[in-house]
Parts: sequence; C-alpha cells; structure tokens
Amino acid sequence: MFEEKLKELEPVFYPKSIAVVGASAASKKAGSLWVRDLRSAGFPGPIYPVGSSGGRIADLEIFPNLRLVSGEIDYVIVAIPRQSVLELLDDCTAKNVKAVQFFTAGFSEVDIQQGRKLEEQMLEKARQKHIRIIGPNCIGVYCPEHKIPFPLGILGESGTAGFVSQSGGIATKLVTTGIARHINYSKGVSFGNGIDLDASDFLQYLAADPKTKVIGAYLEGTRDGTRLFNTMKEVARVKPLVVWKGGRTEAGAQAALSHTGSLASSEAIWSAMLKQAGAIEVHGLEELTDTLLIFQQLGHGQGTSAAIIGGLADGGGGNSVAAGDACMENGLEVPPLSIETKQKLSELLGEVGSILRNPVDVSQAQFRGLAALFQAIDLVARDTVINIVLIQEDIDILLPIYAGKGLEEINAFFIELGSRQNKPIIVVLPPGSAEPERLQIEQKLLSASIPVFCSMERAAKAIYRLNQYYSGRRLNKANYKKL
Amino acid sequence: MIKSQNLLTEVESKELLKKAGIPIVEAKLARSKKEAVSLSKEMGFPVVLKISSPNVIHKSDSGGVKLGLANATQVGKAYNKIISSIKKTYPKAEIQGVSVQPMAPPGVEVIVGMSKDPQFGPVLMFGLGGILVEVLKDVSFRIVPVTERDAREMIREIKGYPILEGYRGQKPASIPALEKLIVKVSQFVEKNPQIKELDLNPIFAYPDKAVAVDARIILE
Repeated sequence: MFEEKLKELEPVFYPKSIAVVGASAASKKAGSLWVRDLRSAGFPGPIYPVGSSGGRIADLEIFPNLRLVSGEIDYVIVAIPRQSVLELLDDCTAKNVKAVQFFTAGFSEVDIQQGRKLEEQMLEKARQKHIRIIGPNCIGVYCPEHKIPFPLGILGESGTAGFVSQSGGIATKLVTTGIARHINYSKGVSFGNGIDLDASDFLQYLAADPKTKVIGAYLEGTRDGTRLFNTMKEVARVKPLVVWKGGRTEAGAQAALSHTGSLASSEAIWSAMLKQAGAIEVHGLEELTDTLLIFQQLGHGQGTSAAIIGGLADGGGGNSVAAGDACMENGLEVPPLSIETKQKLSELLGEVGSILRNPVDVSQAQFRGLAALFQAIDLVARDTVINIVLIQEDIDILLPIYAGKGLEEINAFFIELGSRQNKPIIVVLPPGSAEPERLQIEQKLLSASIPVFCSMERAAKAIYRLNQYYSGRRLNKANYKKL
Repeated sequence: MIKSQNLLTEVESKELLKKAGIPIVEAKLARSKKEAVSLSKEMGFPVVLKISSPNVIHKSDSGGVKLGLANATQVGKAYNKIISSIKKTYPKAEIQGVSVQPMAPPGVEVIVGMSKDPQFGPVLMFGLGGILVEVLKDVSFRIVPVTERDAREMIREIKGYPILEGYRGQKPASIPALEKLIVKVSQFVEKNPQIKELDLNPIFAYPDKAVAVDARIILE
C-alpha cells in the first residue's frame, strides 16, 4: 500500500545532497547550526552551505547563491527571511532541486491572509517544476539511518518507530525522550504549516516504509480532514498508528440549531474520527512515548491477564494493592494465581507476611536469600493463568537491603527471565530518592528490551492499548468477511 | 426537492426522510381546526398535535405540542391552545397550522443527528434521547459515510447501552433496526449536501423496530 510514496519521498528522507540556505561563517544563525549539525552527524552526501557572507563554515565553502553550487542538489534547508523565499524557489527551480524544507516562519500561522497568499505563491512556483515543499515553519526531517539529525545535533539510534508532527518542539521532544527510553526511530518529520506535503503524505510514506513498524503522530488540525481520515483508515490497517491530537479548542462555536450541532465539539469529532479510522488515541507526550515504547519492545499484544509482583524486599503491602488498582482501572485483569502456584509459593516463602494472591507480595524472600526471591518470581511467571508479568522494583528499598551488587544481580535475573520466558516482563521503577541508581538500572533493562515505566498506571495503559489494537484488528478482519 | 428555506417544518422534514426509507411516524399538516379534527379521525385516536412554523425551533417549550388527544373535542381544544400560545410567545412567527400524527406507543427514546464539522464534514451522532442527551451528553459520533460496523460500534459506545438491551425488565430496543436507521441517515445526508443539520429526536425504539417521532432539518 502507498508504495509510490517511497519513491516520491526518497529525496526527502534519503537525499543524496543537501544545501543549507542562510548559512554564514561567523554567525550562530540557524542555517549555520544546521550545516554544523549535519557535518558532525556524518551526513553521507555533499553539504552545500549557501549565504551572502562568503568564507567557510565547518570546513565547507559557503556559496553566495544556490545557483552557483557546483554539484546537484536533492534537498534544500531554508533559513532565510520570508521576503526572500519566492526568489529562492526560482533558484531551486533553476537547480532542479527535488525538495525544499522551510525553517523560515511567519506565514499563515501568524497572518492568515498575507501568509496564505505567500504560501499559495510558493506552491505555484514549486508545482511548476515538481518541487516538494516541507513546511514552512518547521524543522523538517529526522532520519538517523541517513544521518540527518534534528536541530542542535539531536540524533539517536536508528529503529522501527516512525513519527509525524505538526510541531517542531513536540517532534524534538519525541526524539530526546526516545533517546532516554530507547525508543528508536526509523524516521520522523515535523511539517509545520504543511502547505504541500502534510500529515497524510508522511503517514502514507511511513505505512509503506519497510523500516517502520509503528507510527506516532502529533497533530493540531488539518486542512483536508477527509483525506486525513481516509489515509488513517488505510494506514492503521497495516501498522499501529498512535495519535495525539493537541489543541483542545472548541471549534463548534458556531451557533447550532440542532442538538447534534450543539454537542459536536471538535474534540469529540477528532476522537470519533481516530476510533473510526482504527488509530489509537493518546493524550500527551507521556502516553504517546509509552505506547510507542511498548509496541517497539513487545511487537504483539499477548493478553491482558497480569501478574503483579511487588515488595521484592519490603515495601509491598499498600503499594501492591495500589498497583493492582492501577492495573484494573486501566483495563488489565489481575486474576488469582493457580492453586498450585500459591501452594509452591507458600512452601517457599511461608504464609506469614506475604500476599500470595495477585498482586503478589514476595517480601518474605528477603529472609531466605536472593535465590528464593528469583524462584518465587519464576513460579509466578510460569503460572498459565497469566500472560504478562509486571514487576514493581523500588530502588529506595532494595538499595539499603541488597546494596549495589544485589541490585545488579536482581536486574540481571529480570533480563535472564525476560529472555527465557515467552511472556513479556515489564518493570516499573518509581522515581524516588536514588535517582542515579534508578536511571542506571532503567538503561540496563531497556537495552535488554525490557520495557520500563515509572508508574504502574502508565505501564497498564500502554499494555492495554497494545492489546486493544491487536484484538481490534482481529475483530476488524472477521467483520470485513461478514460484510 | 428541498426548499431553499433554512428550517424545514416537521411535515417537510419527515416527507424527505420517508422518501429516503428512514422510518418515521407520518405527520400531516392541518391548516385549520376542522382539518385537524378530520385528519385525526382518519388516522385514529389518540393523536399528537404540534405547531407547524418555520420560525419555531423549540416547539414544546412554547406550548406548541399536545400529546395523547383521545377524541375530536380534545383535538379542537388543543388546536386553539397551540395557536394562541404560539402567537403569544412568537408574535412574528409565520404559522402554517399544526401537524397531526398518531400518538406512538412509548419505546426507548434515542436520538440520531447530523451536523457538519469544519474539518471532517458531516458527522452523525447517536445517543439516548430526552433528558439524557442534554444533561449527560452520553453520545457518540462517527464521520459520514457511516458503515454498518461503525453504526454497531457507535451504538455500543454509549454508557447507556444496557438500557437499550432492556434493563431490569424494560423492553429492549432493536439494535439491528437502529443500526440500519443510522446507515440510512448516513446515506441520506451524503446524497443531500445542502442539509446543514439534522435531528431525529426522539426516535422510539421497540423490540422489533425503530421509528422517528420528531424530525428537524436545517438547510445550509
């Protein structure tokens, strides 16, 4: 599906060469930073700085004009004032440029009438020579595989999550959060005003892109709702599509004469549209990244019957009860363990002081050594009534009891358990007073493909969404046959 | 075809809906008390009388609706009351007369409507009717065209769904009939882009069918 988009947007995500217009030898202008960032990221093709200052930047000659660039140019990044953009597009036409990204802002987002007019003129020029426009008012493309960073040189590892974002700020946040939480992107794009290429184009590209397995989106509005809706329907059929709609404005301000009109808020319609398209709606950056993380790390949903293990050394009790509540409130089931498992646990840990239902409090293991703790967790993970294991690991409690070495062993066990169990193991690391140690453990677990969340609520929500997507899709197919 | 007037009356709205195959309780316009009485006799008692005016939107708030009229005398009295009450509340309203229709037996009240979203175009709404739709806003939306599957999902999405299934011995509403009705409304608004807003409120849903008791169409 949408295979034609791969070829169409090849020069956008995999340009052979990039020119940056608005670079200067001395200044810290956006254009100059872009040249340096591309250079230090190791962009594999020629980079052509263009600016009136002349001289050199990052060891590269600055060309006074785009037309004077010696080689061919696929992609142009523009960081010059808006008064000059039309002239620049003439230069792009002369050089047979394939795509232009405008960092330049100050168009329809600030002045609806004047800005729109200028945008239309830009489009007209670009269409004459089939030049594609990204933006204006955007930071454009992020493609770690092709060494295209986001501004300020932000570049993570290459992975399987793709994203589109109307906002550059949110796009950047997705990438930096991704770097911290091992959510690795195949590619992403911030498209700003989207006067030519917009969310629909990029979603279609990501749906076709073999490197992308899950897609995230941040959107504030659309100029072509019908196309976006139809695109999302198609895209969600082939890949999980997670959407955060920002800007909860009540666009339904126009006086309605019907009950329906008075109830149809913009927020309600977006939610309905996403549901109808088969997309997963999330609210906020945390939910978006949590959901991308779980899709990337687990791939498929395997069920929502969770075992919750807490109180690894102490501090279970109420925390375990709260963890159980959080899971059930967010759509997971927390079924009682089988009689057999309970019996074995009670032999191992004793009846007193432990809770052997579910959530399971294994704190009594602290008096019987780590081996007993690992055995207890293993017993729970093996129980056939559950298909996902959530472990609450409180560093503030574990560190004083087991010290650094014990902590290391515990987490090594989780990693080992995760690799040998065919059930997902998920670790919740609540923030507390031992942040450096906690972050270290988080990194270690994430590198071993164990999803880590900082609260049970967030973990449960993400797991629920993952499973809903896959069960919804199955339902989908069955229904299509019937119709 | 639809007249280029903004608010269609109930009789006009229902005529269009009927042609589109959407089940409605048929209403006829009576221009005089005499006509109202003879139409009532034709239809069989009890009947309902409602003000017919392109200027009156909230009919029952202004004393423009009389329910359960059991004989000719009651119909005649109701006619006079409706006309005088509307003249008092809306002195400038153009009054065509009253609509006469058989009184539908009570069923589960639901609402189906359409409005236009600036970004996504026509959208359909479904919810429980009466007070519930206004106070609890327990409604669901879908973008037109609404498929059978969408209709199925939007009905099940509302919190009040158990009421439709027949809660505590109440008679259930026919979900297949509601699904069919929603899809038909979707097709109707797709074919008539000049419709700006639409309310079928209430629809009475019975164990074997669903019928729109009142309808309002607003044109662009």
